[in-house]
This record gives sequence, structure tokens and C-alpha cells, in this order.
Amino acid sequence: METLFLIKPGEILLKKENQKEFTRRLIQQLHKRMGDVGCKIEEFPGRFFLSVDERYAERAEFVLSRCPGLNGYSKAYVCPKTVESILEAAGLVAAKALAAGKKVFKVETRRSDKSFPLGSYAMSAKAGEAILDTFPALSVDVHEPDFVVNIEIRERAYVYGHTEPGPRGLPSGTSGKGLLLLSGGIDSPVAGYMMAKRGAPLECVYFHAYPYTSVEAQRKVEHLALRIAAWCGSIRLWVVPFTDVQIQIKKLANEDATTIMLRSAMMEAADSIAFKIGADALITGESLGQVASQTMENMAITEAPANHPVFRPLIGIDKEDTVNMAKKIGTFDISILPYEDCCVLFSPKHPLLKPSFKDLTAVYRELGLSPLIEESVRKAERFVYKYRDVLEDFGVS
Amino acid sequence: MNYLDWAATTPPDSAIALQALHASFDHFANPSSQHRAGKAARDTLEGSRASFLDSLALASGVKSLGGDLAFTASGTEADQIPLLSLLKLAKKNESGTGAIRTSATEKPHLVISAIEHAAIDAQAETLSRLGFAVTFVKPDADGIVRPSKIGEALRSTTRLVAVMAVNNETGAIQDIDAIGRSAASAASSLGVRTPLFHVDCVQALGKVPLRLSGGLVTSAAFSAHKIQGPKGVGALWHSKAIDPLAVGGGQESGIRSGTENLFGIHAFALCAAKAAASLDERLLRARALERLLLDGIHAIPGACAVPPSRVADDPRWSPWIVSAAFPGLGGEVLARALSDADIAVSTGSACSQAHKTKGRRVLDAMGLPEELSFSSIRLSFGPDTADADVEAFLSTAADLYRRLKT
Repeated sequence: METLFLIKPGEILLKKENQKEFTRRLIQQLHKRMGDVGCKIEEFPGRFFLSVDERYAERAEFVLSRCPGLNGYSKAYVCPKTVESILEAAGLVAAKALAAGKKVFKVETRRSDKSFPLGSYAMSAKAGEAILDTFPALSVDVHEPDFVVNIEIRERAYVYGHTEPGPRGLPSGTSGKGLLLLSGGIDSPVAGYMMAKRGAPLECVYFHAYPYTSVEAQRKVEHLALRIAAWCGSIRLWVVPFTDVQIQIKKLANEDATTIMLRSAMMEAADSIAFKIGADALITGESLGQVASQTMENMAITEAPANHPVFRPLIGIDKEDTVNMAKKIGTFDISILPYEDCCVLFSPKHPLLKPSFKDLTAVYRELGLSPLIEESVRKAERFVYKYRDVLEDFGVS
Repeated sequence: MNYLDWAATTPPDSAIALQALHASFDHFANPSSQHRAGKAARDTLEGSRASFLDSLALASGVKSLGGDLAFTASGTEADQIPLLSLLKLAKKNESGTGAIRTSATEKPHLVISAIEHAAIDAQAETLSRLGFAVTFVKPDADGIVRPSKIGEALRSTTRLVAVMAVNNETGAIQDIDAIGRSAASAASSLGVRTPLFHVDCVQALGKVPLRLSGGLVTSAAFSAHKIQGPKGVGALWHSKAIDPLAVGGGQESGIRSGTENLFGIHAFALCAAKAAASLDERLLRARALERLLLDGIHAIPGACAVPPSRVADDPRWSPWIVSAAFPGLGGEVLARALSDADIAVSTGSACSQAHKTKGRRVLDAMGLPEELSFSSIRLSFGPDTADADVEAFLSTAADLYRRLKT
């Protein structure tokens, strides 16, 4: 048996000349994520139909709910073009809505096959009547329904109800490539997710300071990268051995400035990797004023060594909203595992809150960390996560 | 692997394990069965029990110790049984049929040291949630509980005192005799019956002389895998009747129901006998290792023993366990780096905020400065530890400390 999904693209429809390209990317992403299961995608004005063997319906729902560029999708029943089978399918849609607590409905029919014996209005009326007969708890309101039973009569008949929300945004690959500075914390995975939703393919960089940070901390970051790949389709993670850089900073820098120096060094390293992989921007999870090192003054200094623009999608987002997003995208429970990404020994007791740009960037340059940073980038280990790894991680067959 | 984590667990004595395994094959029958095979298994079990009691007497420096012994599934379980039995006692008192009467408003009370193993500490927390009052007595800065403080903590409602024989993090030996006397005299001034006195001897058996013979200790817990026996076996010695909370088929005189683990028990008794017989000789050897280690630590610039006042050959510390601090380098970080150098040590401290309060309970109770508790690791030896093992640790740790200290 085949399962059919009606897909509603969102922002793509606002595009004019580029719409074709954006559509191509979306369909490409859907095919890539569905993998080798023989799914078929048909394009109609303003909507797509994805059909797949029902064994893979769960995978399709997983993909559709996480593929940027689509606003929503509904599971549709495909049936022969007879009134009886359409009524049966409409009953199934109504039963599901009732079970979800919906009470008031309407039926909408579109009939492109004019050879069908009933007109659109007549079909809607008949279906509405049948549903009311079967489910006395439901009632009709054509102006403010809780749910709509949609019937489309074309080469076959399609019946669908509730639309599940999609991630919205733009299909992966329609924007430039971003390099995400990924820590083990709550914020950076969410920042990655937000940029993935804007169509940016992502790679990640993690700074590993073994033995100050544990192998478990690195495993945690690997897992987070995999979770972000659920949104951008696939991901690469660069693990940069940063211990020597950290020790050098600790040795040379004033204690108050160690955090700023470390973050500047990380930016420099990320910038270097961005050149190497052809990334167009750096992405961080920084949020204004969240911690002492995330003041405007600090951020101006720490991003100074970077040639690429630094995007901070969480800059104006409250922590609580970030936490909610992290929960939604499945990174929160991993982020709160108790492995530190950056040893507390490297955090000064009184970090600088309003440092001078001129002084601190000069201090950073004087540290002369570039050779050490270049060496650490050369030694970086690369991990690649494909979408099938994502499916396995989420236990989707 | 240079294994310096004997307080966590020990490499099994394979000769003893094999001997015990064969005994368990030969006597596979249920010791509670009435047939001949069952009786033979029962005889083996009772032989192990008698032998274990002899070992306890030997380690206590007496001919015979008296009391009863129940084998359990772990040292933790041997700690739990006397503590949880208080729940039944409290119930009896409530209904007025017990020997000790308390008014409904007076909560039954426990006195435990603040440095107990989680087997006692967490159990006391649970009892406090079930209506008991608990006083946690802090040690002095050296990690040793001052006996008078136990007596001072006593109330007329105190049912049980629990203080461990040897602390598992610092190796501090508690003065069990003086603590028992302090509790007894406090009880007598209050005009109440002396409370039960439970002693967790898990890090004491086979390592330092036991203090069970003075008539003050009413129960003591032991664990096999700390003396090269198998995991999953413990023992509870007791001089007073215990009415356990968890019941079943009534094995082990009803103290610990469940068919006995004959293999584990047999091996435990053999290990205990071996350790007790060679206690003096082993102690001498351990003192030498302790001296080597403490001297070496003091020679590393910046490093110190925990507590810093600890010196070698001090009878107040078990020579088998030494904690050391490397200020400026997290204990967890050093332990990780040592592990890469194939040296196994433990740490109670943790780099992360999440672990902070949990991992350092004992060191915090001593009032150790954060800089030291944060950077401390625990080393522990066994009879197989060689001077070379300690020396290898010292040179590696000194090197790592120099490189990684921040």
C-alpha cells in the first residue's frame, strides 16, 4: 500500500524568478533524506505530493517535519474515484480529528475531473452528512472549523485532514555554507538549527582540550552535530585539538583576559577552517549579555581575528526561548549531560566586562598564537554524518 | 596498567577464585535442602562462616570474637540491613510493644559521621525522609571524627550510631573504641540505653587491625571485592539481634534472605583468612609504600597530601589509601591524563559544576579549601603494589602536573 503526503511549501512561493531553483532544492533534499526507498514526488502549483510505500510512512513524517522549506504536510488517503470510498476516507480523517479533540469541521472539495458524477458542493455536503451520522459528537461550522476535511478529485481521489506543521524557512542549499562553532552547551546547537532553517548547509567546529575536557565531552558534541544534521540534511564536524593553544594563553595572558583571548583564538581557528572548507560565514550561539563574555564589547574583540562574517542568530533571543527550541529539536537532553566543554580552570574569577577594543586586540596579536592555531587546525579530526546516521540515531526505519 | 585504585576494587585472587569455583561445583545443591547434597553444601557454607569469624577475631587481635555473621550480596547491603531494621523498631515503639518507648512527637534519631560511604549516608537520608532525625557529625580538618563529638550529638532518642572504620577517600582511621565509649557514656548520662553502633569496615578488613572486640560495636559491614574476592559478596557481623526489613526464605538466620552465593562466600572466607594471617607483614609493606608516596608527593613543587598535615607512619591513617592534591590542576583532569599514561587512580572531585557538590562530600566535610578538594586524587594500594609502581606514578604525575597546571 502506498501512503501519500500533501506538502505545502512556504516561503518558496514568495520567490519570483528563483522559485524554480528553490523548488528544485526542496525536492532534491526530500529525495536525499528519504533515501533509497523509492519515494515519488509530484509537483503541482502551490503544493507537492510525496508518495511512498506505507512501510516508510514513519520516515516520511520524520523527514517532512524537519525539512526546511516546507510549511506543513498532511497525510492523505488515496482512494478510487467512487463516492463510497471517498466517504470512507473522509470518515477516517474525521475519526482522527475527533480523537485529537477536535469538534467542529467543514468539508472542502476540489474536483478537477469533471467526469466525476457529483459536483464539488454536492460531494462536500454528502461527506459532511455522512460524518455527522457516524460521529454525533461533531458539528459543522463552515466559517470557523477546528478542522477541514479536504477532498480532491483528480486522476484519483485524495482525502486529507489536519496539516502538521513543517519547519518553514528555506530548503537546505539555497544559502551559503555556515561553519558553526559548536560547544557542548544548549545555545550553539540551536543557533545551527536556526541557520539550517534559513537554507544554510552546515559544518561544525569543536575545540577539544584534552585532558582538560573529557572524551565523553567530545562524544556529546558528536551527538549534538548529528542532531543538527536532522535539520540541514548532513553535517561535518571538525574536532580541533586546542590544548596547546589554551595552555599558551594561560601562560601568557592576564587572568582577567583569558576568556577573551581563548574566544579570539577560537574565532581565528574557525576562520581558518572556513577558508579551508569554503564556508561563507561563522555561526555562534552567543546571546547578548547572557554571560560576561557575551557583551557587545567582548564580541567585537573576539570576532576581530575573523575575516568571515560572524552570524549570531540567538543574539536577541531569551534563554528560555532558546531552551524551548533546544527541547523541540532534541538537543537539550544531550546538552545538559554533565561534561564540561571548557574546563572551569580556564574561566577567570572576574572576566573583563567592558574591555577596550584597541588594547585587547593588540594584546591578542602580541600573544602570537597564529602558528599554534594553524598547527591545531592542521591536526583537526573530521567526522561526517549522513542523513542515514540521523535516521539511525532517532530510531526511524 | 599500573593499578593504584585498590580502594575501588581489587584484582581477584585467581587461585582462590578457582578453588571456590570448584567448591561451588562440588556443592551446587541448595544449602537449605534436606538431602545429603544440600547438607554437604550447608557444611561448606558453615565452614566458610566459621573461618570468616576466625579471621575477624584474628584481625581484631583476639582468640574469639563472638557474635553472628550473615553473608550478604555486598558491603552496601551489609550497611543497609542494620539501618533499615530501625524502621521496624520505630514501628514497634509506636505501637507501644517495643522495649523502648518514645512519645509520638519524638522522632527516632541517628548519629552518623559526615564522611560515611554513600551506603550509609544515602540510607540515613532515606530514613530522615521516613521520619527519623539524623545528625551528621563532621570530622576535624584532618578527616578524623573527634569521639567526644559523637557523644555530644547523642539524644535520648538516638537509636543508632554509625561511623566507618577507615575512610575510603582519605584513609583516615576512626577511633572506634573511643567513639563507642563516648556514645555509651553519653547514653548513660542521659539515662537511656546505649544506642546500636554500626561500623562500616569495608576499607579496614585485611588492611588494618579491626576494633570489634571491645563490646561496643554492635554490627560491622565487610565486602569481598576489596580484598581480592569476587564482587557481589559482603558480610554483616553483629553482636545483637537484628530484625531485618527485607525478608524472604529466612536464609542466613533470617538476616539476609536469598539462596547463598556459595562460590562468592567460599572465596570471601579464603581471602579474609589469607589477609588476616598476613596482616602484620602486609601492613609493614604498606607503610613503606605510603612513605615512598608521601615523600614523593611532598617533593613535587605545589603538591600536597590530603589532609596536608598527613605524614607517613602516622597510625591514624591507613597506609593503603593516600589522597593528594595538585592545586591548579583539576583532579579529574589529572586522573584522565594518568589513565592515558596507563596509571589508574580515582578522583572524588570533578571539573564540572554538576558534580561539584556530590563528588567532594567527604573533603568538604573536612573543611578542605576548595583549591585542594578540587584538585585531589586518591591513590590506593594492595599487597601486589611494587615500589616501582609508586615511583612510576610519582614521575608521571610530576611531569603531567608541570605541563598541565594552570
